[in-house]
Amino acid sequence: MSVTHDEVRRIARLAELEVSEDALPLLAEQMSRILEYVAQINSVPASEAVKPFVPGPDAVRFRADEVKPAPLAFGPAELAPAFRDGFFLVPKLGQFEQEEG
Amino acid sequence: MSDPSDALASAKAAADRIVKLKRLNACLTPIKELRKSLAVQASTAHPSGVLYGMPVAVKDNICTLEYTTSCGSKILEGYRSPYEATAVAKLKAAGALIAGKTNCDEFGMGSSTEHSAYGRSFHPFDKTRVPGGSSGGSAALVASGAVPAALGSETGGSVRQPASLCGVVGIKPTYGRVSRYGIVAYASSLDQAGPFATTVADTALLLEAMWGHDPCDSTSIPSEPEPVLARLEEGVAGLRVGVVEELTDVEGIQPAVRAAVDSARNLFEKAGAEVDTVSVPSVEYGLSAYYIIAPAEASSNLARYDGVRYGLRAPAAEVATMNALTREAGFGAEVKRRIMLGTYALSAGYYDAYYGQAQRVRTLIIRDFSRAYERFDVLLAPTSPTTAFELGAKTSDPLAMYLSDVCTIPTNLTGATAISVPAGLDAAGLPIGVQVLAPALGEAVLLRAARSLEAGFAFTARPTLGEAA
Repeated sequence: MSVTHDEVRRIARLAELEVSEDALPLLAEQMSRILEYVAQINSVPASEAVKPFVPGPDAVRFRADEVKPAPLAFGPAELAPAFRDGFFLVPKLGQFEQEEG
Repeated sequence: MSDPSDALASAKAAADRIVKLKRLNACLTPIKELRKSLAVQASTAHPSGVLYGMPVAVKDNICTLEYTTSCGSKILEGYRSPYEATAVAKLKAAGALIAGKTNCDEFGMGSSTEHSAYGRSFHPFDKTRVPGGSSGGSAALVASGAVPAALGSETGGSVRQPASLCGVVGIKPTYGRVSRYGIVAYASSLDQAGPFATTVADTALLLEAMWGHDPCDSTSIPSEPEPVLARLEEGVAGLRVGVVEELTDVEGIQPAVRAAVDSARNLFEKAGAEVDTVSVPSVEYGLSAYYIIAPAEASSNLARYDGVRYGLRAPAAEVATMNALTREAGFGAEVKRRIMLGTYALSAGYYDAYYGQAQRVRTLIIRDFSRAYERFDVLLAPTSPTTAFELGAKTSDPLAMYLSDVCTIPTNLTGATAISVPAGLDAAGLPIGVQVLAPALGEAVLLRAARSLEAGFAFTARPTLGEAA
């Protein structure tokens, strides 16, 4: 299993990570080695066909639909990098705004 | 202890010991803040609680109101949670004093506590070695006597492995027994908090204080757990113990660790247990399945760190660039590596071969353990293939680091329970741990078996405060 530099770039975009060109070779090599190792799960005998494990409770347990005060010591304004009038502030949405314009 | 002045003295003594052990880099809380908070907590703690006045340090990925919760990450530097973890609230309700936040591998991703944005922690017996991880700070503080107990969390063995390396007791409870509310998510189907202490009895005491159903965690088990502390001394006569072949003969196992498992087997037999070997064939795929499932879940869970709602934000003119620059600047190399691996495993064209197959293997491992528990009440295995390794020995080889977890990971994949108990020292004077495993909800028999081993091994090695690291 060999991961190419282009694949690392593509995965980094999906993962919203800014991987520098300098970091590509080592990351590609490490990912290749790890993926080669974990690929041994595909050597499980076909006779061992079972259903995939599904995480989570067997059934959704509903709670009473009651309005309760949020048990927070303080609100999002204290935590957000930028917050005004009840809204989180972010930079321009870039391509989306251009498309709308 | 029932007097506030006793609690205050206990808090002050703990803070003094933590200062003395600063060189372990095990506690991330600034000492002034720690002293101030402990004094306030001591004056308001519940005197009738079973943990009244007991200082308990808490891993930095578990939310507290008293201190920041950075998860060992730059992306959450200075982050104060607006709520506290249920496990922490329960410890406080029992009278415990939260004695600072402990260093850990970033977001719990590591086996040595070398992957923290706040520097690595050191082994309390040997300053050239790691304390294990990811809850290495918690283990080191308990082993060195700074605090009598600490809270850690496990995704693939991050309580049991550092407990083994530092010579203390550490338990991974059944998935859903301890609420995950307020424990910062790494891999939600695997994460579970667990206590460290120097004795099995203290571990059981903490467990009884912190477990139970929590409506704030949808995976919390709705039934109330049975008491475990009262049954600790019931012994193991007639108990059926299976020694897991695949974990005991795992590649690269240190001879002294292998010998410790044999000693544990002999101790069980002497105490009246019926011991035999057992094969759990699919565990050989456990590590591979884990290093697909955990990164896959991490890639999803850590998507929330985008520079918008809390945590670090890198300046940029456009939001997508801001997201990527924030994550690049805020996450360390190991976290980024796991996010990349998880994203790869979940991406189109690879999903079924990696994530889907890993979940099939998980089903197989659960099935094989169920078969083993038809013959045995508990299982026995090494906790870690080796004792504490040297600082930096595995940081440049992620796969070598991952192999440290080979014996602990199967329990996380099955959602069952296991405990590491100190079993002696190797020739270099480093602690060895063995683990007892039990089926889900089997904490009573697990702790009883662990107590029997503890009595047999009679492990007492501790670094003195002046000598630690």
